[in-house]
Amino acid sequence: MSANENARVAPLVGQHVQRGEDLRFATGQGRFVADHVSTTTLHAVFLRATQAAGQIRSIDTLAARDCPGVLAVLTGTDLAGTLAPIGALHEPNEAFVDAFSFQMADIAIPCLVTDRVHYVGEPVAVVVAESRAMAEDAAELIDVDYTPGTAVTTPQAALEPAAPRVHEHLPDNIAASLRGGFGDVPAASKGAAHRVTGRFRMGRHSGVPLECRGVVASWDPARGRVDVRTSTQVPHFVRTAICASTGWSVSEVHVSTPDVGGGFGPKANVYAEEVVIAYLARLLGREVAWLEDRAEHFVASAQGRDQHLDAELAVDSTGHIVSWSVEFLADVGAGSLWVAGITANTALHSVGAYRVPHFQVVGTAVYTNKTIVAQYRGAGRPEACFALERCLDMAAEAAGISRLEIRERNLLRAEELPKRLPLPYRDGVPITYDGADFRRCLRACEQRLPDDLLDTLRARYPGMYLGSGVATYVEATGRGPYESATVRLLADGTFEVGVGSACAGQSHETTFAQIAADALGVPMSAVRVRTGDTDAVADGIGSFASRSAVVGGSAVHRVCSQLRARARELVARCLGIEQDSEHEPTWSEVGRLLAPGGELAEQAPLSVTGTFEPPTVTWTMGAHLAVVGVAPETGIARVLHYVVAHEGGVEINPTVVLGQIRGGVAQGIGGILLEEFDYADDGQPATATFAEYLLPGSCDVPPVDVVHLPGPAQLNPIGVKGVGESGTIAVYAAVASAIEDALSCPAGTLTSTPVLPSTMLDIAESSVDASV
Amino acid sequence: MKPAAIDYARPASVADALSIMESDVEAKVLAGGQSLLAVMNFRLARPTQLIDIGSLAELNRIFDDDGSLLIGALRCHRDLETDPLVRDRLPPLAEAARHIGHIAIRNRGTLGGSIAHADPAAELPALAALLDAEIYVDSRQRGRRVYHAAEFFEARYTTLLEPDELVTWIRFPTLPADAGWGFTEAARRHGDFAIAGAFAVVELTGDRRLRRARAVLFGVTDRPWLIEAVELTGRVAAPDIWREFATAAMAELVDTMEGAYRWRVAAGCLARAFERAAANARAGAHE
Repeated sequence: MSANENARVAPLVGQHVQRGEDLRFATGQGRFVADHVSTTTLHAVFLRATQAAGQIRSIDTLAARDCPGVLAVLTGTDLAGTLAPIGALHEPNEAFVDAFSFQMADIAIPCLVTDRVHYVGEPVAVVVAESRAMAEDAAELIDVDYTPGTAVTTPQAALEPAAPRVHEHLPDNIAASLRGGFGDVPAASKGAAHRVTGRFRMGRHSGVPLECRGVVASWDPARGRVDVRTSTQVPHFVRTAICASTGWSVSEVHVSTPDVGGGFGPKANVYAEEVVIAYLARLLGREVAWLEDRAEHFVASAQGRDQHLDAELAVDSTGHIVSWSVEFLADVGAGSLWVAGITANTALHSVGAYRVPHFQVVGTAVYTNKTIVAQYRGAGRPEACFALERCLDMAAEAAGISRLEIRERNLLRAEELPKRLPLPYRDGVPITYDGADFRRCLRACEQRLPDDLLDTLRARYPGMYLGSGVATYVEATGRGPYESATVRLLADGTFEVGVGSACAGQSHETTFAQIAADALGVPMSAVRVRTGDTDAVADGIGSFASRSAVVGGSAVHRVCSQLRARARELVARCLGIEQDSEHEPTWSEVGRLLAPGGELAEQAPLSVTGTFEPPTVTWTMGAHLAVVGVAPETGIARVLHYVVAHEGGVEINPTVVLGQIRGGVAQGIGGILLEEFDYADDGQPATATFAEYLLPGSCDVPPVDVVHLPGPAQLNPIGVKGVGESGTIAVYAAVASAIEDALSCPAGTLTSTPVLPSTMLDIAESSVDASV
Repeated sequence: MKPAAIDYARPASVADALSIMESDVEAKVLAGGQSLLAVMNFRLARPTQLIDIGSLAELNRIFDDDGSLLIGALRCHRDLETDPLVRDRLPPLAEAARHIGHIAIRNRGTLGGSIAHADPAAELPALAALLDAEIYVDSRQRGRRVYHAAEFFEARYTTLLEPDELVTWIRFPTLPADAGWGFTEAARRHGDFAIAGAFAVVELTGDRRLRRARAVLFGVTDRPWLIEAVELTGRVAAPDIWREFATAAMAELVDTMEGAYRWRVAAGCLARAFERAAANARAGAHE
């Protein structure tokens, strides 16, 4: 279409475009789920299990029903037969299943438990009242009589033959298992010059969003459907789950997301509360809200990580990798709808960015009586990275070379890329690292650490022990199977774009608008983006797995390009005006011509809906470098400087990429130094408030220097790779390495996260003793 | 996380507040609410009513007396941190306040609330105990009484305060002009409750010998822990004497502490607080 009205030549993709969301969020005009509650909305409160394991003998709800303002009190028994349990969200492709002998237990998560509880925080009953406070008053009066059971809280204990079973209908506590690899590890490692082994543990922690979860649902009698607003990353999955659980048809359920105050993976999950609230809205014919409070969030929102890994790395006398093997246990608590994805991610990212001739991995996901697990930014990858990078540090020491040198020698070089591994990805397609040169990320990191920086920092932090550490990662991004998008021309010449990738703060309104505006040849102001709404696009997958830019962005590009072509074809056919002619109408003229009464009113409106299905994932790689200071008197560590150099695709908006990397690093710092969901032996959560669960604040996160190195990205039309999770993956290993350097202790001393001040103080004092 | 149903009163005078307190000993006084409201939201505290003393402007004043500052119980931490009078006359009080939580918390939390709450990891009770501040309390039955801060804190969240008594004023003695003070606090993140912390005050003779050295540890036992370095009196205040002293002083605490890590951090805090105090003390200027 003619560009006269919208004179713009330079593409928007690649520009530091200011986020369209910023004004709204910075001035308090964001509308989150709780902002959609009115004075007539009913409030639901879930009574949650106070025991980690046990039978429910009886539940007495009489007193609660009699409380003022209470409209309904329902237990699992009341809902049995009405609401079916929620099933798994991911099942891997057959080729993957065959290659890894992958097995998965048959598990579904009940909406409200009927007879047996599995973790503290599990929903047992629900109360609906005129206000949250009234509902809490009533919930307090519900009397649940438990026969306590024995809880298992570690995967090792859960795998003991005599261990109590978390789920009675299953033969054991194994949630999933896999085994795979290539080459012959036992034979190859036998003759290796150096073999280092490590037993690693990554503690349980997760994305703790600023906004907890929440659902507001109402029954629309005119349209005969339930409208569900929920703070989620996956509205279409939520709709599917509600339909599957209630038996309602897709046309009876509309799911949308308001502004979402952070997701990070725990909201890329479907929860019992979403199904129950939708059901209650229809049952009562009223608007019903459930707003998770922080105390609930600590026990009821899905958690992450929590893996134990036994690893052996064999290298030759010059430090070249001979073989690598990992055996891991993933503690998925009482269950995970994403168990297949998490275990597969750890297995598939274990090879890392290196030349590994022989590899094997054995993984087992295990049930315990702890809170359910979902993906958390990285989703199994940081664990794989931690084991490999820790072992590389140990092997470097064994081989007598530097930690940088061992990576330099083993990283895949430009001439070895793209690199195909003899393993299928989760989608069944053989893994191909579609990278350019993995060594240049490491070198870029080194270059960003000037020789005098450590001296400068030493002067600034006298009395601290300083050290630096490095780690690399690979990440498969942009997983399918598809994402869908839709675009239509409005009568005023502007466009509405709908995308299946819901937004939880990732700037989709801006980045998708940039892509759409470029494809349509219009300024961004002519594009309005709608995400997170099953009315905007009929089908969709959602935002997780570093996939939205790649798959959602490509879908936007595709439908917008098609719409532009269709418009030109229409103009040529009906008006006889050729493309780029000076008579070519503007978009607003086309809009008017197509409107009722217009010359083209008989023609089909200009609207395109379509999907993008990536052939497979596209891989990113990066190197992280951390400078850490440890206070010798307290063992408290601070990350003082941080560099990330990564190989990605086209940056749709470099400001947004920077924000993704920096936010990822911040969460990694939390994971390695501060955050852990801790449980007592009886399964009682020991971290139930922010006084125990420590998040990094602005004082704990240093400036992060980011070097973006463009790599090939040929698997999608816009040439992008995912970046949502890559900032987090290598932080754990880089910081652990830096702490060991600061404390001058042997490589591999630190094996678990978070690294506690008491551990660091012990090491600091013993190394002082040793030097005396 | 909603509190259980509760009555609410907002008295207009201290006398009115005391009347309510006398008539309802299960009521709780609400000042800044930074500790009380959290435990009420968890329903761990279920007072019958809240007596919100936020209107009692008379308790939000500060007086500069000879040798002391008299501070109203409603003065918030942020005021103590930034008030030029406090910073000039009793700088350790401003320093203590600076380490409490974050600015939003310091804008709400009050001096009287912190003293009455008696969290063993809190800075203000520790400093009050070290300086043996006078804590003025009022009640209908007994009128005004004065407690000495060194004896006021009995255990975790437990003081000599009677249920019908309201903390109204705290008198902090100022330090002699030549006394040195030192403060150190270890926390995993800025604004967290201390793993351990210490205040020390050191006074020197003309030839830089110790006239008096005393300190308080907080976050370590169930109350502010006072230490008087009597055995060091008369010794030359060399920088290296404090480590040994701190370790010896801490030996007494081993049995009462929950962990070896906290013990080691506390010993380090104590030594550094003394080191700083001694370094800042001026030799016998007032002799």
